[in-house]
Amino acid sequence: MDIITKTLFVMELAEYEKVSDQVKIAQRDLEQDGFSKNPFFHGIIAEVPEHLKSKEDSCMYFFTGHTKVGYSLYFYTYSSWKGRAVYMEDLYVMPEFRGKGIGKALMSKVSQLGLAAGCTQLNFTVLDWNKSSLDFYLKQGCWDVTSDLGYHCMRCEGDALEHLAQGGL
Amino acid sequence: MANFILRKAEPKDVSDILRLIKELAKFEEMEDQVILTEKDLLEDGFGDHPFYHCILAEVPKQQQSADGHVIIGFAMYYFTYDPWIGKLLYLEDFYVMKEFRGFGIGSEILKKLSQTAVRTRCSSMHFIVAEWNKSSIEFYKRRGASDLSLEEGWRLFKIDKQNLLKMTDEE
Repeated sequence: MDIITKTLFVMELAEYEKVSDQVKIAQRDLEQDGFSKNPFFHGIIAEVPEHLKSKEDSCMYFFTGHTKVGYSLYFYTYSSWKGRAVYMEDLYVMPEFRGKGIGKALMSKVSQLGLAAGCTQLNFTVLDWNKSSLDFYLKQGCWDVTSDLGYHCMRCEGDALEHLAQGGL
Repeated sequence: MANFILRKAEPKDVSDILRLIKELAKFEEMEDQVILTEKDLLEDGFGDHPFYHCILAEVPKQQQSADGHVIIGFAMYYFTYDPWIGKLLYLEDFYVMKEFRGFGIGSEILKKLSQTAVRTRCSSMHFIVAEWNKSSIEFYKRRGASDLSLEEGWRLFKIDKQNLLKMTDEE
């Protein structure tokens, strides 16, 4: 997947999730972290033939005339109970290409690659207001670990992380 | 006061790692969910591209646990990726045996993990905690952790092997 498209997709997805001011990464970071000898992530892209390329402007990034219409970014993780797992960090299809099974195909591809690598589960997070995504995933046979088991996603960053590194309580 | 060292796990440690994984799972009332074997841990943790990393807490022989173990705590972690901010450190398991708590071993492990995160240019450390585990939630919140499920509405989803296979068949 070329790095410029990936960067633009990341911006579009952030726009969709209403948090585009939180995208701190640069094209250079994505290049270094995704395309070196030991990549930190992998990506799959959905591409349509030239005659079906995008027509509408998308957000402010002028997505007309593009054949790359969706992507998924994933990486391998580890469950101390079950072993190898795959984590789907991003899944996105441009608005004008939705409802055609592209999202499902991307997710299916990530699943295939995960199974081939010996993974027994696929994990990802969904924001609780995103009703259409929640419905899509539940239809694929996924279940909500936060709801069912009460697991909360926690984060330690910035000053808190530095403070912890210095042994602060 | 317990005398202890923290060190990177080695292939010879897989039996202790599995023992501690099962102890932690038992505490979470999920012991029957652990299907991982020593062979998996060996293959997945010590090759060219390890799926996980482990820090172990070890005490001298004369301070061994009641059941004769010197490896008395561990943390299992790996690196993940957020396309908005870059690399993250994900803490999968973190546990100190009950009889060795209250000596600052957990805090030292967390300090070591945070130093690793900062050194490898990770912007953040992520992990999950069960909402009923009030003492752990307090432990982490005291250290500045935020609950993304509560504050930002994140819900963790899972799809198991059976349904993954179904999805790959339905192309």
